[in-house]
Amino acid sequence: MFDLSLFWDYRVILWQGLLINILVFVLSSGVGLAIGLLACVGRLSSPAWLRRISAGYIEGTRSTPEFVLLFWVHSVMPVLLSGLVGMRLHFNPILSATIALGVVSSGYFAETFRAGIQAVPRGHIEAARALGMTPPRILRRIVLPQAVRIMLPELMSQNIGLLKTTTLVSVIAVPDIMYQVGIISQQEMKPLPLYTGTAMAFFIVILALTSLVDRVSYRLKRY
Amino acid sequence: MELWTRTLLANAGPVLEGLRVTMSVSAIAFIVAALVGLAICFARIYVPPLRRLLGAYIAFCRNTPIFVQLLWVAYAWYDLFAWPTDVFTAAWVALALQSSGYLAETFRAGFESVPDGHVEAAHALGISRFTTLRRIVMPQMLLTIAPSLMNQFIVVLKCSTLVSVIAVPDLMFQAIRLTNIWGEPVPFFTFVAVVFIVLIVSLSAISKKLTDRVHARLAA
Repeated sequence: MFDLSLFWDYRVILWQGLLINILVFVLSSGVGLAIGLLACVGRLSSPAWLRRISAGYIEGTRSTPEFVLLFWVHSVMPVLLSGLVGMRLHFNPILSATIALGVVSSGYFAETFRAGIQAVPRGHIEAARALGMTPPRILRRIVLPQAVRIMLPELMSQNIGLLKTTTLVSVIAVPDIMYQVGIISQQEMKPLPLYTGTAMAFFIVILALTSLVDRVSYRLKRY
Repeated sequence: MELWTRTLLANAGPVLEGLRVTMSVSAIAFIVAALVGLAICFARIYVPPLRRLLGAYIAFCRNTPIFVQLLWVAYAWYDLFAWPTDVFTAAWVALALQSSGYLAETFRAGFESVPDGHVEAAHALGISRFTTLRRIVMPQMLLTIAPSLMNQFIVVLKCSTLVSVIAVPDLMFQAIRLTNIWGEPVPFFTFVAVVFIVLIVSLSAISKKLTDRVHARLAA
């Protein structure tokens, strides 16, 4: 029934496309983790205005569809920035994809960081303080080792989600795997083998990653 | 301001029509996904020979990017099954495919949260299996998973923006089309982003309230 030979014939181009997906994933995950950490620190800090802004940012980014933000960053942000600096700007599609996916994922990352930090029992921090440990040392020796263990499974599955989302970037002309699939399918006038092959390939890769994360999470939760 | 009236207000008709299409794709996809998910959940429990196959189906739905599924359904399914014949059907089928996998797992979690004793008690009273399911299991199960159902609807609504890629005239499709006609991306894309953020923030707020009420109800 399936003749997937076409999928195999174009494996080199598809592989190059997948590498672009991985590039976008790594960049946007880095951006997302960095902004997420900042937003989390803001959310847990003492000034009320900073807490409110961070909470609003987290809520807002978590409620934005990735696809809409991708278009917004790619076509609206350059126009707004051009008005600001007074010259015409254009964003490289990979830059737009990194910003959009980074911003969307940062809200989710921030909530995961917060959940991890808040899961550390207060008594541990109070005990450390009673023993005369300095706040940075409490963070480094008491809070982070426990918090990281708690948030790692969630962070990993969110990163898998982000990897899945990187397939969208072809809509702003990032030459990723789906972009290549679209072009080849049009040239060959055979959509079936490439779309089916890509769906199967993603299924296998993501399933393998998910199972790996499940196993690691299980081991982390034993302690 | 003049820019907004000239572009957005002048095209309120197509924009609202797009919003209607977005809503109907999401609603149809969610309802179909819930029905299929429920059927899969019960089939996995009561029809052991199907367990492996349905497990594979769920794994496939959950572990494939929605965008890949959408294009696969829209462009490859017609060659495979001679169906779906129009993009609107392809759109809700793809969205439902993805969500049915997640919802099957949600329903299972809900099913497992119903204490065995309740089912056994119904059995002891001579209530038939179907009635037990309908009167004893389902009400408790739906109460527990109501917040998760709501969250899955939010996911469907978010993913529904993708269907513009296969030329379904939803809100995003209209925004792209009007931007290309008017050469003004700012009002259209900003409007779409604001509409979705407002919609989803309000739905999440409802979902949060629902979660609290369910917890209060279960604790009582």
